[in-house]
Amino acid sequence: MTYETRRRLRLVLLYTTLVTVTVVICFPLAWALVTSVKPNDEMLRLPPTFLPERLTADHYRALLTGRAMYFEAATGYRPKTAPPQHFLAWFFNSVVVSVGTTVISVGVSTLAAYSLTRFSFPGQRFFSYFSLMGYMVPSVIFVFPLFLLMARLGLTDRLPSLVLGYISITLPFCLWLMWAFFRGIPLEVEEAGLIDGASRLQVFWQIVLPLALPGIIATSIFSFVVSWNDYLIARIFMNSISQLPLTVGVMHFFEGVHVDWGLMMASAVLMTLPLSILFMLVQRHLIVGFGAGAVKG
Amino acid sequence: MSAPYGRHGHAGSGGAVALTVFVPPPRRWRLSDRQVGVLFMVPFILVAAAFILWPVLEAVRLAFYSKSPFRPTMTYVGLDNFRYLFGDPVFWAALRQAVVWTLSSTILQSILGVGLALLLHQAIRGINVFRGLLLFPYMVPTVVIALIWRWMFNPEFGIINATLLRFGVIEKNIYWFSEPTWAMASVILLNVWKFTPFVVICVLARLQMIPVDLYDAARVDGASAWQRFRDITLPQLKAVLSVVVVFRTIWTFNKFEEIYLLTRGGPGTSTFNLAVYGFEQATANLKLGVAAATGVVMLALLFTGSALYLRLIGRQEE
Repeated sequence: MTYETRRRLRLVLLYTTLVTVTVVICFPLAWALVTSVKPNDEMLRLPPTFLPERLTADHYRALLTGRAMYFEAATGYRPKTAPPQHFLAWFFNSVVVSVGTTVISVGVSTLAAYSLTRFSFPGQRFFSYFSLMGYMVPSVIFVFPLFLLMARLGLTDRLPSLVLGYISITLPFCLWLMWAFFRGIPLEVEEAGLIDGASRLQVFWQIVLPLALPGIIATSIFSFVVSWNDYLIARIFMNSISQLPLTVGVMHFFEGVHVDWGLMMASAVLMTLPLSILFMLVQRHLIVGFGAGAVKG
Repeated sequence: MSAPYGRHGHAGSGGAVALTVFVPPPRRWRLSDRQVGVLFMVPFILVAAAFILWPVLEAVRLAFYSKSPFRPTMTYVGLDNFRYLFGDPVFWAALRQAVVWTLSSTILQSILGVGLALLLHQAIRGINVFRGLLLFPYMVPTVVIALIWRWMFNPEFGIINATLLRFGVIEKNIYWFSEPTWAMASVILLNVWKFTPFVVICVLARLQMIPVDLYDAARVDGASAWQRFRDITLPQLKAVLSVVVVFRTIWTFNKFEEIYLLTRGGPGTSTFNLAVYGFEQATANLKLGVAAATGVVMLALLFTGSALYLRLIGRQEE
C-alpha cells in the first residue's frame, strides 16, 4: 500500500466515524424537529416514518397563537390538557428573567473580578475558595431557605424572585470566569493610561472593559444558559400559571390525561432555538470561556 | 472655555496645534485606587452574602429544626432530623442509587469524552462543523432533553422500542420508566448524552497544548499509535482529567432535574438520589428540616470525598 492510499483510507475512516458519531448524538434533537412538523395521526403510526409524509405547522401555530382549535380538527376530540395559551407569556418570562440574571451577575462579578486582580487586600484567597465552594453546593440546599426569604420579602410568585434565586447559581462561576479573564489582561496597558493621566475609573471603562469583552460575552452566555435552563428554583418559587418560565410551564403539558407529543416537541424546538442561535453566533468565544475555567453544568 | 492647565490651550480648540495636551478632570471626581477597589467589591459581597452565604448557613440551621413550608413556626428538634434520615430505608436506598448514578455517569462520560476529543482533535477539513454539532448537547435545556427522552423511550409509540423491535433485539415493548433497572439506565443515558461534551471541551483544550514534536519523535522511534496514546497523550491528560473527574462527580452527585424530570424518581423510589429525596421530603412530606438535613449530609459527603481525593492526588504526585 502506498503512502497516498493509506492516507486516503485513514481520511475515509475518520470521516465515517465522525459522521456516525454526529448522527447518533444529534439524533434526539433531529427527532424532536421531525416530530414537531408531523400531523398527529402520522406521529403515532407504527413503525414510525423517519421523514414526515405531510408537513404541518399546527403544533407551532397552537403554541404561538394560544388557540387549541386545531386539536379538534386533527384528532376529533378536545383533550383535557391545558390549552397552550400561556406559551408566549412563559417565553417572555424566561427572556426577562435570564437577561436580568445575566446583567446583574455579570455586572457585579466583573467589578469584583477587576478589583481582585488589580488591588491587593486581605481576604482575597477567601473569594477564590468561596467561588469554588459555590460550585460544590447542590441547589437543593439553598432553594428552600431562599424560598422562605422570598416569602418574607413578599416576592414569591413574582419574576424578581427568580432573578435573585438564579443569581445564587450564576454568581460563583461568573466571578471565577471573569477573574480568569482579567488575569489575562496585562497591567501595562492600564499603567500607560494612568501615566497619561486618566483616572482609575476612566481606565477601567475605556481600556480594560473593551479588552475584557470576549470574556464578558462568554460569561454572559453561560449565565444566560444556566438561567434559561433552570427548573428547580422556578418550580419552588412560582405558583400562578402565567408567571412561570418556559421550563416549568412546558412540564404542565404532562398533567392532562392526554399527552400531546406534537405540542411537546414543538415547545422543545422553540425552547432550544434561542440557545442554538446564541451558540452559533459565539461558538468561538465559548471555547475561550471553557479554556478559562470549568463551568457549572 | 479657558485652558488653565496647558500652555497650548485646550486640545480641541487649537486647531492647528497637533500636540495633545492633557486636561485633568476636576479633583472631586477622583477616587483613590483603594476606594475604587473597595467600591467594586461592595456589590458582590452584598449579593453573595444575601443569596449564597446566608441560604447555605440557614439550611444548616434548618437541619436542626422542624419546619413546614406553609407555617411560620419553627421548632428546635436537635438531631431528630438526622435520626429520621438514618432510620429511613428510602434514604439508604437513595444513597446507594446516588452512588450507582454518579459512578456510572462519570465513568461513561470520561471514557466517551476522551474518545470524542481525540476524534475532534484531528486537523481535517470541516472539523469545526463537527465540533460545533458535538458540543451542542451541553447547551440544550434539561427540560427539553427530558421531553425528547420521554417521547423516544415511550413504550408504545417511541422510536427506541420500534427500532429494537424491527431489528429483533427485543420481542415485546420495554416499559422503560416502569422497570427500576431500565429507568436508571435511561436517566444515566440522558446524563451522559448531555454532559459528555463538557469532558470533550476540557480535554480538547488540553490536547491542543501538547507539543507536536513529542509525537514526531515517537514516530521516528517507531512507536505505534497505541503506544503514542499510552505514553504521550495519557500522561499529558492526567492533570486535566483528574480535575474534570472531580467536577463531574460532584455535579452529577448533586443533579436533581436530570432525574426528576424524566422519572420523578420512579418507579417507586428506584431512581431517587439524595437530591430528589430531599426535594420530595420538602414538597411531598412538607418536612423542610429533613430536606435541609439531607443537604447537610450531601455537603459532608462531598467535602470528605474531595478531601480524600485531593490527598490521594497529592500522594501520587510526590
